[in-house]
Amino acid sequence: MAAVKELQRDLENKANDLNKLQKDIAKNHQVRKKYTIQLGENELVLKELDLLNEEANVYKLIGPVLVKQDLAEANANVRKRIDYISAELKRLDATLQDLEEKQNSKKEAIFKLQQRIQALQAGKGKA
Amino acid sequence: METMGTVTPISSVFPAEEAQKASRRVQDTIAEREQQLDQLKGFINDNVSVINLVQKLPDETHHNIMVPFGKAAFFPGRLIHTNEFMVLLGEGYYAERTAKQTIDILKRRGKALETKVESLKAIMQDLEAEASFFDATAQESAEGLVEIREDYVGEASSGAETAGYGKSDSTSSLEVDARKAAVEDEEYTRIFSRIDELEKEEEEAEKANESDEDERKQNELDSTIREMSVHQEVRSSPVQAIDAAKAPEAPAVSKDGSSRRDCPPPKSSTMNKVLELPEEKKKVQAPPTTSNMAFTGSIIEHAHNIGMNMPEQQTGARSSKPVSRFKMQRK
Repeated sequence: MAAVKELQRDLENKANDLNKLQKDIAKNHQVRKKYTIQLGENELVLKELDLLNEEANVYKLIGPVLVKQDLAEANANVRKRIDYISAELKRLDATLQDLEEKQNSKKEAIFKLQQRIQALQAGKGKA
Repeated sequence: METMGTVTPISSVFPAEEAQKASRRVQDTIAEREQQLDQLKGFINDNVSVINLVQKLPDETHHNIMVPFGKAAFFPGRLIHTNEFMVLLGEGYYAERTAKQTIDILKRRGKALETKVESLKAIMQDLEAEASFFDATAQESAEGLVEIREDYVGEASSGAETAGYGKSDSTSSLEVDARKAAVEDEEYTRIFSRIDELEKEEEEAEKANESDEDERKQNELDSTIREMSVHQEVRSSPVQAIDAAKAPEAPAVSKDGSSRRDCPPPKSSTMNKVLELPEEKKKVQAPPTTSNMAFTGSIIEHAHNIGMNMPEQQTGARSSKPVSRFKMQRK
């Protein structure tokens, strides 16, 4: 009897862990979505900036004010931002893979635990 | 005859409820995408109206407008500098542009939106195909369709040969061309070796029993074999062989024949045999597969296996046809 209880507690813990992992994965997906959208926007900005004349006035909205910026500077900034977002996306991908692996192993462990509990209970039922 | 494959009802692999659930989920995602599509279309409309406005603004040096003041109040004002725009490029970047340049930017933006719409539509089409697939599966599962898997048995021994024969009949009626070619080649060699064998037997039979009738049969055999198409040959040659071989060679031939069908009475004459065939065909066609009720819809009956007297073999050989039809559907 004690063994079954132990196993069930173990199972509960594992299920909680799995839930946490799944939440993490969902969060990861959301963050990734946000970054992908930003990446698209930045690429659009870069395209437009490339099309601008050298002497065109470019401003950046910082808080409530528009601050005049050099076109080259703005261009460099956007490029940097794109690089950063791409790197971030890659990192997110890696963590996502890691999380999914963990999730799968957890699922397997839970499945095995369930089987063991069932076997134990079946044995008890016969005895 | 050994079993040639396994039969699994689809409902055991894909329960109808599960398939319906899957289909519902896909429908949900489709609805989501539709919302996105509507949103994008709204953006496109906004973009178009902005383009129209920007086009008109520089027509005058100033416009009398109502200036919004807070959330509720407006007061009259004047819009000047009608050819100067601050265009938000995104990410907090603004550029000073003229009306014309602004319109260019807006048009580019419209194009980007349209490509997005296109890709979204493609995705939705994929999803719809998926949904219809799930629906079809659910329906098939509910109807109790079964899936039959059958391993292809090549020609390895005399025992395997029979399986190969049965198989070749069914495969030729499917449209599995790639395999068919190989099978056909195999069949050709088999047929020719068979013909040689038969001729030898024939000669022996002639020696033993020199009669006109035998010669006539020999001729008939040759001509029919030449005329018939490949898989017909496969079928007809043993039938003829039995007649040609007649009494002396009967045991040797029936060894071949029995593995495929119940050894037909070897003493029947050629003419009788030929007359019998149509009747047997009818028999094969007439009874709706009572032994295998599951194939309600998709059986197409080919009366190919002429000499089959054993009902189990009939179903065995016939059931191999719907397999491929099913597989084709899957594809």
